[in-house]
Amino acid sequence: MTPPAATASPGLPHPDLVAAIPRLRRYARVLTGESSRADDLVQDTLARGWEKRRLWRSGSDLRAWLFTIMHNVHVNQLALARRDAANVSIDADPGNPAWQLPVRANQLERVELLELLQHMGRLSADQREVLLLAAVEELRYEEIASILQIPIGTVMSRLSRARSNLRQLIAEPASALRVVK
Amino acid sequence: MNSAHTTPIPEADVQAFVDNQLTPGRAALVEAALLGDAELAARVAALRAQNAALRDAFDPALAEPIPAHLLAATVPPDSRAARFGRRLAPALAIAATLIVGVGVGWFGRDALIERAGTPTTFARQAAFAHTLYAADVNRPVEIWAAEEKRLVTWLTKRLGFQVHAPDLNAVGYALVGGRLVAGNEKPTALFMYENADKERLSLQVRKQAPGSGEAAFRYAVENGVGVFYWIDDACGYAISGNVDRTQLLKIAHIVYGQLAAADAGAPK
Repeated sequence: MTPPAATASPGLPHPDLVAAIPRLRRYARVLTGESSRADDLVQDTLARGWEKRRLWRSGSDLRAWLFTIMHNVHVNQLALARRDAANVSIDADPGNPAWQLPVRANQLERVELLELLQHMGRLSADQREVLLLAAVEELRYEEIASILQIPIGTVMSRLSRARSNLRQLIAEPASALRVVK
Repeated sequence: MNSAHTTPIPEADVQAFVDNQLTPGRAALVEAALLGDAELAARVAALRAQNAALRDAFDPALAEPIPAHLLAATVPPDSRAARFGRRLAPALAIAATLIVGVGVGWFGRDALIERAGTPTTFARQAAFAHTLYAADVNRPVEIWAAEEKRLVTWLTKRLGFQVHAPDLNAVGYALVGGRLVAGNEKPTALFMYENADKERLSLQVRKQAPGSGEAAFRYAVENGVGVFYWIDDACGYAISGNVDRTQLLKIAHIVYGQLAAADAGAPK
């Protein structure tokens, strides 16, 4: 018998897509900076994925494929939003990051992680995105370049800037926090 | 400061080294440079610590429960929306309502399910039967798994079509046995499973009333019991238990796959 996870059953949630949802939601939060908009983005991405399913090459990395779709859907939505309102903010509200942490670990550790997330919210969306894909998702630079459709050299320089900005934000006293681009 | 004997390590290589993406040859060069360059060593350590902290900060998000509307968006649209077409949004909203399970009375809820094209009471019946029999420590079943063959033969005869008891050992659930349950029109077969923690699941199978031939799939929480149920080839299936949705979905897939294999012999 074929393993059930390998095929989609009519009428049932596709197991590979279900498995991808938590990572898609996380990426969407980093992109949008808002939980509610993030889940809308995930839903739009899944819908687009179904539309484009014939372009999916089986055996390749589904996560990277869906990330590419999500990136494009997000970029397109931003472009539309910009056309509608000239001054739409791309970035998260720095004081209120969308990526909330569930209560866990000890309190001190949690405070440190929360601070880290808040600092991350002060990076530009471009830098947050590349940092998530490289440091958290541990994707290869070539894969990131393909998802973002930029040269690999740009991935690496953007990543380097994101890292040094984040270090700088953490090192600064809280009163001196500012948006670093 | 770089030691006088080594060439400076390019910034790109430092990044790639920290992300474990450097070729072994160039990684060895970085390793060598680290020994003689305390500043570089500190920078690499700090970058690695930053990576680890980011994973610690972001990984808990992966454990969050999946909202129903996103789960619904993973169902192949061909089977999901053949008849609803672009008017899929209401069906998804109904799925979300089922999960939340508040604010809508029993009757209102049934009306919503009916509009979504699924049986009105199967999930409820399944949840009630599960709650009733799973809680019975000594007599959850009429025929125990030791007589599985007799059990399957008997249920097949009573239901009027070939039933199978799926093997859920791969996910840690062993067959306890089975029983016959009264349904609203036709009798229902109930197979009970139990894991090492004595948590029980039940699979219920019955003939569907004519007219509900398409494959439908729903998740509902009834009285605190999670139920995945679907219709396939004129039979209704419901898997119920007090386990989280992801686990229940996984089990539902195994059951679906095994039943398809047993019936068709050639699953796609």
